[in-house]
Amino acid sequence: MDQFLQQLVNGLSIGSIYALMAVGYSLVYSIMNFSNFAHGSVIMLGAYFGFYALTALGVPFSVAFFIAACGTAAVAVILERLAYKPLRDRRAPFLYFIITAMGASIFIDNSVIATIGPTPKTFPSELLPSFLQGMPLEWGALNVGRIDIAIFVVAAICLGLLMLFIDLTKLGKAIQATAYNMKASALMGINPNFVIILVFAIGGGLAGVAGVLYGMKYQVFPQMSSITLKSFIAAVFGGLGSLPGALLGSVLLALIETFVSGYLSTQYRDLFAFIILITMLVVRPSGIMGRDAEDKA
Amino acid sequence: MQKVLYGILAAAMALSVNAQTANTVKIGWFGPETGDSALWGQAELNTVQMMAADYNAKGGITIGGKKYKVQIIAYDDKGDSVEAVNVAKRLISQDKVVAIVGAQGSGEAIPVATIVDAAKIPLVASTATNPKVTVSDSGAVNSYVFRACFTDPYQGKVAAYFASQKLGKRKAAIFMTIDDPYSTGLSQYFKENFEKAGGKVVSEVSYTSGEKDFRAPLTKIKAANPDVIFIPAYYNDVALAAKQARDLGIKQLLLGGDGWPSDNLISLAGTALEGCLFINHLDMDGLAAKPMRDEYRAKYHKNAELNSYMVHDALLMVVDAMQRANSINSVAIQKALLTCNIQGITGHIKIGPNHDPVGKEAWLIKLVGPNMKFQEKFATAN
Repeated sequence: MDQFLQQLVNGLSIGSIYALMAVGYSLVYSIMNFSNFAHGSVIMLGAYFGFYALTALGVPFSVAFFIAACGTAAVAVILERLAYKPLRDRRAPFLYFIITAMGASIFIDNSVIATIGPTPKTFPSELLPSFLQGMPLEWGALNVGRIDIAIFVVAAICLGLLMLFIDLTKLGKAIQATAYNMKASALMGINPNFVIILVFAIGGGLAGVAGVLYGMKYQVFPQMSSITLKSFIAAVFGGLGSLPGALLGSVLLALIETFVSGYLSTQYRDLFAFIILITMLVVRPSGIMGRDAEDKA
Repeated sequence: MQKVLYGILAAAMALSVNAQTANTVKIGWFGPETGDSALWGQAELNTVQMMAADYNAKGGITIGGKKYKVQIIAYDDKGDSVEAVNVAKRLISQDKVVAIVGAQGSGEAIPVATIVDAAKIPLVASTATNPKVTVSDSGAVNSYVFRACFTDPYQGKVAAYFASQKLGKRKAAIFMTIDDPYSTGLSQYFKENFEKAGGKVVSEVSYTSGEKDFRAPLTKIKAANPDVIFIPAYYNDVALAAKQARDLGIKQLLLGGDGWPSDNLISLAGTALEGCLFINHLDMDGLAAKPMRDEYRAKYHKNAELNSYMVHDALLMVVDAMQRANSINSVAIQKALLTCNIQGITGHIKIGPNHDPVGKEAWLIKLVGPNMKFQEKFATAN
């Protein structure tokens, strides 16, 4: 029982990071109908922004967080303007977007390897706020790392705010309308270009938060973007384009992974993750909470 | 007649080309300059280039009464076995090196072994400790493959002996990288010897390289409640595993092998590894290592890694073999390597029947604050 609870906590802490990452994939997909594979690289940049804001600039932790989120939001928007907008203007097929996204991802990853280097870095624990330092919290045999709690709380706050924003504000309604039908909403006076920039900025900002949290929990390294592939699976699992779906998919995927590696063996973990992905695509291509079936590319 | 003439001309030209390059000896190196183990690959490359520069500053090395300049030809294998095979082939067929050093990972050295054997080019591996590097699956010794380091069976034996006899631990857990022959091999030798000594391995769990979250398998180890946890992995994974283990409330001593020593280990792990122990090839803060440690730091402004010392000894073995063979012929170098008997920085290297150094000492190092403190050294029968 102790072990079960511990694995549950382990799974939830991974799930909340997946969720922050998956939301970025889902948001962009809901508007532009393609999977922005450069998202993982933006997350990686967020971790580096946060790391250098903290160590090189020496700003307080909360400011470092803010800098990272703003930095990645800017990177995501610039990426949209430079890489995707020219394609949109030419009405390129969606396949071109995906290839461009992969190219951008490889470009960003290798730029970091070439300039900063491949060696992993750790957030120095003495620079973290005091409530994140020190021993893990203990309840009987259950141990919960302080950073894991922080990740859970931050992820819940960010995602809660995002859902409120989308459901309650005018801008949120504009995103919903554009996701539903870009042409019709444009005719109603919603500027699609503005909505797209907004979506990339929000997704980018969350990527920054996710990157810093990931870097704190593990390490900061250029190959981080490949790990975000899991959050993409989670987004597809939950239903690409659906925010609650991305959340649910992330938590479920993380729990399944953790229990498989905890009770069976780590070797089976990815096997199960991908079997779930494929089964889902065959049986219910729209995912748990997704809209109608479309290309999940 | 014309054909014969052309033949003679071509031969003469080939000879003259040879004559021009006759005072340079080409030695190949490959290892990871990028990727996860880039830190160690770069440390090796820096070292062999530093040594070549030192030899050449003295006018080269004397072989058979002639001075030869040393030229290092280096390729990045990205820590990838396929890439390692490609670059080894390139070193042999395109660059025509007389010998190769490096091949730090067993995963890269094993596939390359068959290639150098077929091409009859000696390879002296720096830190590839898996037994299959020098002895193939069929049990035959790979004639052209040698190494400067002790092997995993030896290392596993020392670690098991230390854990059971010196520390008196009865129950051990093993946390290994399932897709790395270094890690699985070392685990197996540790387990065999630990159980032979009366101990019991109560939990054996693994992860796949590239993973960053080890909490699920570590929770399994915690439930088994061992006295000591053996982690035969590389420093980066060790640091992550140690931190996560402490997060899960695992307070036991962690014990490791020669994948641990790195300048980055402690900065990555923070206090999670305080008091933990590992087996190394030398005392990197000791007297024997001092001249090279100082020269390396003066030249590259950072600390030499374990791989620097190991590849130093590997290149030393090649140079010594060339000098004793009085030749830069690859076959002659191989013959001389068979009788290698020199003093390196990492200890006395006497090549045994399996092309491994025999009776090399293993050094036990403890992590104390920011330092790696030498505890004691062992030499058991191989």
